[in-house]
Amino acid sequence: MNINGVAIEDTFAEAFTMRVARLVITGRTARWAREAAIKLTGFATSVIGCKCEAGIERELASGETPDGRPGVSVLFFTMDKQSLPEQLVGRIGQTVLTCPTTACFDGLRDAPDRLPVGRALRVFGDGFQASKLVGGRRYWRVPVMEGEFLVEETFGMMKGVGGGNFLILADDAEAALAAAEAAVVAITGRSGVILPFPGGVVRSGSKVGSKRYKHMIATTNDAFDPTLRAVTPSALPEGVNSVLEIVLDGTDAAAIEGAMRVGILAACRPGVRAISAGNFGGKLGPHHFYLRRIVE
Amino acid sequence: MSDAVTLVLTTRPVHPLVADCVAADRFARLGTGEIAALPVVHGGRPASLGDFFRITGEHSSSVRVEGDLTDIEGIGAGMAGGELLIDGGVGRDVGLAMVGGRIDVRGDAGPNAGGAAPGAARGMTGGELVIRGSAGADAGARMRRGLVVVTADAGPGAGKAMIAGTVVVGGRAAPGAGRFLKRGTIVALGPLDPPLTFRYACTYEPPHVALLLRYLRTTGQMDLTDRQLTGRYERYSGDLAELGKGEILRWVGEGAGAGAGAGA
Repeated sequence: MNINGVAIEDTFAEAFTMRVARLVITGRTARWAREAAIKLTGFATSVIGCKCEAGIERELASGETPDGRPGVSVLFFTMDKQSLPEQLVGRIGQTVLTCPTTACFDGLRDAPDRLPVGRALRVFGDGFQASKLVGGRRYWRVPVMEGEFLVEETFGMMKGVGGGNFLILADDAEAALAAAEAAVVAITGRSGVILPFPGGVVRSGSKVGSKRYKHMIATTNDAFDPTLRAVTPSALPEGVNSVLEIVLDGTDAAAIEGAMRVGILAACRPGVRAISAGNFGGKLGPHHFYLRRIVE
Repeated sequence: MSDAVTLVLTTRPVHPLVADCVAADRFARLGTGEIAALPVVHGGRPASLGDFFRITGEHSSSVRVEGDLTDIEGIGAGMAGGELLIDGGVGRDVGLAMVGGRIDVRGDAGPNAGGAAPGAARGMTGGELVIRGSAGADAGARMRRGLVVVTADAGPGAGKAMIAGTVVVGGRAAPGAGRFLKRGTIVALGPLDPPLTFRYACTYEPPHVALLLRYLRTTGQMDLTDRQLTGRYERYSGDLAELGKGEILRWVGEGAGAGAGAGA
């Protein structure tokens, strides 16, 4: 199979079940909501090193947020139930509570699993905090020097999918980057999906473990490194000199599948030889996204 | 089971009628005959609800009461759930010590709306009471949790001795609002003179008020302008003769954030 002359390899992306929360951060202006969201989702590219994965899902118009102010929707992923509230409390406390004019709301209101994030953050108020029930939902008002920080008492948690991916195998680094950028533009703003890596693109795809260093849980994916083609069993077709990866986390498999479809189609452009995907032989992750089936 | 239970006043009471049996959650468990047989007190004498009201529907937690109810007391007292619509003015003690659900009064309410029974330490402990008109004295008095909205003027002592919860007054609040407040919030969109035992803190845009007013507007419980939604409020802490953790938030005008939604 090929699209615009780009081969779609007969393989699949292997993804994992994760836990996800959605945060709605609002601010007096879109700028301040964005500032908080950018800090909140910083250093959250991979659970391997960051213990969580996070990203901006989309920007929200004032009519879409609980308090009628412009906002940003953020998705937050961890591998287990326990670490999600830990990450949220630490990160919201340092990046949203501290950011001028912002408030923080739950974006998964129907999720039955509740994380007591606002309940934990309230103690910054040192006993001066107060709660309010509005429409059956409890919020905490934490006094701060600027005025008050408003945070919802609990946040919903549900199962999500992390680690959807596809690889762009290109003639050169310039073509790979242009294709990756096109894919990111196509995916950005889709509901239920984030791209947790810088600019949505990964240059350092990894394999599990190490051939040489026992303490490393992930090392370079040498089979896809063009510079190692001569010294390692390579998975790269002839003529491929640069590879970039798009990694996707989503609220469900359908969201990832839809985003992969538009991303792959956008990446099939001049200078790209093939689209592939990373997997572990289907042994580790329960979610398998077959490239050819997705773009059919 | 029907979509709603409707009570239409057919015999106007000669004396005050205590009808504290009228509550949406109670009617959800009762048939039409059982509702008609519920006890009321008319001028100190026992009577039945069916002596005064024509009742249609059964087994529903959505209840509508129609007629001139200004001499009828205690409607919605202790209500724990469901929706109760009162289509007109109502007498004293509407929503007395209610626990949950929503009461929507499409007219004025008498004294002690959402208040406490005589001698009781607590009034409302949950739910929402919306009065689309004026309220008599002591609306929301001794509330522990919940929301009372008075879209027009409130009589003396609104939110008196509240333990927590929120009272919103759209019009003028008579003297004594918030007196003996322990915790809780009184949001005044109209004139209100805080008691002398309250102390001014600052003028700011409380985010929870914007959230609350937006909720009230979205659910059609209160007509509010954009200016009120984005308003600045003077915060008075009190009652300092009590715990002092309560507040009166008095609207003073449009906030600086008004119209900033499009800002980048």
